[in-house]
Formats: sequence, C-alpha cells, structure tokens
Amino acid sequence: MSTGKYLRVNGTEYQIPGQWLGRRLLDYLRHELRLVSVKEGCGEGDCGACTVFVDAEPMCACLLLCGVVAGRNIITVEGLPQDFRQRFAQLCEKHGGLQCGYCTPGFTMMSAWLSGGGTETGKDPLDKLLAGNICRCSVYQQLKKVVAELT
Amino acid sequence: MGSQVSIIRPSYLPEIELFRPSSIDGVFECIKDGARVLAGGTDLLPWASQHGQPRKMVWIGNVEPLHGFSVDDERLQIGACVTQGELIRCADFRRAAPAVADSVQFVGSVQLRNQATLLGNVCSASPAGDTLPALLVHEAQVEITGAPGQERQVSLDDFLLAPGKTMLAPGELASGVSFCGLRANEMSAYRRHTERRALDLAVASVAARLVFEADGYTVAGARVALGAVGPTALVAIEAAKSLVGHPLTGETKSICAAIAAETCKPISDFRASADYRRQLVKVLVEDVIGEIEQRARIFKPNGEGR
Ligand SMILES: Cc1cc2nc3c(=O)[nH]c(=O)nc-3n(C[C@H](O)[C@H](O)[C@H](O)COP(=O)(O)OP(=O)(O)OC[C@H]3O[C@@H](n4cnc5c(N)ncnc54)[C@H](O)[C@@H]3O)c2cc1C
Ligand code: FES
Ligand code: FES
Repeated sequence: MSTGKYLRVNGTEYQIPGQWLGRRLLDYLRHELRLVSVKEGCGEGDCGACTVFVDAEPMCACLLLCGVVAGRNIITVEGLPQDFRQRFAQLCEKHGGLQCGYCTPGFTMMSAWLSGGGTETGKDPLDKLLAGNICRCSVYQQLKKVVAELT
Repeated sequence: MGSQVSIIRPSYLPEIELFRPSSIDGVFECIKDGARVLAGGTDLLPWASQHGQPRKMVWIGNVEPLHGFSVDDERLQIGACVTQGELIRCADFRRAAPAVADSVQFVGSVQLRNQATLLGNVCSASPAGDTLPALLVHEAQVEITGAPGQERQVSLDDFLLAPGKTMLAPGELASGVSFCGLRANEMSAYRRHTERRALDLAVASVAARLVFEADGYTVAGARVALGAVGPTALVAIEAAKSLVGHPLTGETKSICAAIAAETCKPISDFRASADYRRQLVKVLVEDVIGEIEQRARIFKPNGEGR
C-alpha cells in the first residue's frame, strides 16, 4: 500500500517531490539520491542491472514509478551490510567474478537475496533465479562460484 | 555550483501523471478521466517508453480488495493486484494448478515476477502470453467490473479477441480471475519453446489438463490449449477429444499432437516460420502429456513410480 509521499531508502526516509511521483525509481535513486550503484542497462526489465530490494524482494527499479513504491522499504547496494559487501568483493576477486563491473551491483543484490534464503519454490536451480541478470562480459560461471560459496 | 555535467542519460519514459486511488470507485473515476490501468507495469511502462504514451495512469495497487487470493480445492480466485511471485511462493497454488504454476515460472525473471500480476498477463493478451494456455485448460473466468456494482464473468476463451485485444470495453476493469483447481485423478502441465532459456517470449507453447479413470491409465477427460500459434491462445478441442476413452500410449499421444499441429494457426515472423511452429506444437504436445503422465503416476492403484 502506498498512498504516501515518502520513500524509505537504505533506512532513511525521503519526501518525494511531487514531480517525481510519476517518474522512475531508478532515476530518483541515481539523480536525486546519487545512489549510483543502481545501473541502467536496458531500461526495460531485461538486464537486472537496476535490481533493488523492495520490502526485501528483488525488483527492477527501471520499471517502478516512485509513487508506486512510496512507503515501502528500498535497499540498494549502498544499504547492504558492510561485511556482506566485503565478503562478496573478496569472493569476486578469488573467482574472477567481474570484468567491467557494470552488472555487478545487480548480481550483488541477487547474491544478497540468495544468501538470505531467497527462493521461489524452495527447489529452484540457481540458473533460474539468476536468469534476470545479464552480464555482457559473460562471467556467469565465475559468479555462480561466488554465489555457491556465499550460500 | 556551476553547470554539472550529467553522466546519466535521460529516461525515455515520459513523466507520468499518476493517480493512486484507494477504492474501486476512485479507479473508475480516473479511468473515465482517460487514465490507463497500471498494475505491475512490466508491459505498460516499456510500452509507454517506446510510444511516448499513455501519459496518464491509474495504479490499482492501493485498492485493498484487489489484493486477495484464495485457493480451495475446487476453485482458485486471484485478485487483480496479486503478483506472479506471490503465487509461485504459495505451495497450495502450485498443487491446485500445476499448469498455471509452470507457466508463471516462465514469465520474465525473479525480479519481474515480483512486480508483474497474473491479471496483467491476461489483459495484455499477447498471443505468446505464457499464462494464457495454462489458464485456458483450467477453465478460467475473467471477472469484469463495468462500473461500481456492475460485474460479469466471461470465459477466458471469449475474453481474448486478438493480439493485445480483449473484451474489456473502455472504462472497464478486470477485477480478478478464477479457475478450476485439480480434482481427484487430474493433472496438468505447461511447456514452451524459446530461443533463450529465459527472458524471451514463447515461439510456441502448450498446456494440457487430463482427467484419468480410476484405473489411473484411461483418459476420461482432456483439455489442450496452444500459445503463440494463433492470434490468441487457442483451445484445441479436437486434439483433446482424441485422447478421451483411451489409455496414454505412444500412438494416442502422437495422434493428439498431429491434430493439434493441424488445427493451430501459426504465422511466420522473426522468431520462427509457421512450419517450424507446427513442428514445435507436435513435440510440445507429446512433452506436456509425458510430463502429466510422470506427475500422475501417484494416482495409479499400484503406486507405480513413487
Ligand atoms: C523483460 C520482460 C520479459 C517478459 N517476459 C515475459 C514472458 O516470458 N512471458 C510472458 O507472458 N510475458 C512476459 N513479459 C510481459 C509481462 O511481464 C507480463 O505480461 C506481465 O504479466 C504483465 O503484468 P503487469 O502487472 O506488469 O501488467 P501491466 O504492465 O501493469 O499492464 C499490462 C496491460 O494490461 C492492462 N491491465 C493490467 N491490469 C489490468 C486490470 N486489472 N484491468 C484492466 N486492464 C489491466 C494495462 O492497462 C496494460 O495495458 C515480459 C516483460 C518484460 C519487460
Ligand atoms: S535497466 Fe532495469 S532491467 Fe535493465
Ligand atoms: S562484468 Fe561486465 S557486464 Fe558483467
């Protein structure tokens, strides 16, 4: 439910300026809050670079309007626990889990979700759960090792 | 502080005039005012980015009664705001409507399923919409609300008119969809073929629901529906009929598959030629029936297979 005019991002409440209610969450996070971990790859739900948590579930910030997520809890990479981010970075280094790094924030969010027990039916293959994140450098196999060691 | 160089490309989505009423009456007022219904937005927002319109949208997520869903053995009722993610996570739903559960899991990705609604997939009426063949074999009825207090139920088969076209008249809202759950000795499944494994639309797809006699072998009733091989998802009546009264064998399955391939109406486009789609229908019908057989082993009196 969100009739409100507030967005809760990484634990802080922000009043959404009226002109932002009908604009994308992705742009609000990047332009207004300068949370530039949230990337725009495709802008239409295909690539997962813009993945954020809305009430602990991953969603694409490029397909959400600010007014639609008002009052809900938004988490970006900047809001993930420091120790998780460190561990994720270490494992990426160990397994070669990134090249250009553009997809990394999206994969970081999905890894955080998975390591917190994220699932749909309780017996989904990893490929299915990560299918919404595209890596143009194609480090999928390495990222799977990272996730396997995290979870 | 001087001019700041923006490293961010501007969004192509025009600024939307967004309404967020908390009652159905409020939604109708906005629709009357020219606003387009926004549910999960996974179809509507990419469309608006590409076409520069609609500019006015009414988000229905604030209307509490549209969030309800219930699963009892006989019938499932899903409100307009229920997301596909919510449905997949519900074990009762997966048990009551396996074909629909299969189909929902093919839509987009985890992220998209958390946003997209089941009814949004129905109202988009894409010929390749994954949930449509599955909902057809589960005898879905769409609940249409015309104005406050004016409700009617339409079978999904009638509701789907053409690509992107439904029976919804201007000013109408689909408030929910209901469909049959599995009864004793029934099983259903859905399969599709895509070029990529995920985030791609079906080149062809098939759903089926079979009722078995008490012996666990003979087919007592059947429904088959096809996706992406016609202007809308199609019910394959003749193909389904061919199974009734027979046990499932290699021969009965391939007869059913051949009839389905004959009666579908595929087009050739960038995804595949019409001929290829017919071939796919044949393969998928046999696959789906095979899957149902696997899943239905549990019914067999001697418990074979489990
Ligand atoms: C990257 C990507 C991948 C996708 N992959 C698939 C796929 O594999 N298979 C598939 O089938 N689909 C796919 N889709 C399409 C889309 O996700 C689904 O069709 C989705 O179910 C739409 O639901 P929604 O709630 O987001 O609808 P919205 O976008 O909110 O609405 C869709 C349309 O229906 C209308 N509408 C919605 N709800 C109602 C209502 N209650 N009453 C009246 N009108 C209504 C809207 O006005 C709009 O025209 C994909 C989309 C994207 C962006
Ligand atoms: S930018 Fe949102 S999914 Fe690609
Ligand atoms: S590391 Fe370059 S896109 Fe994934």
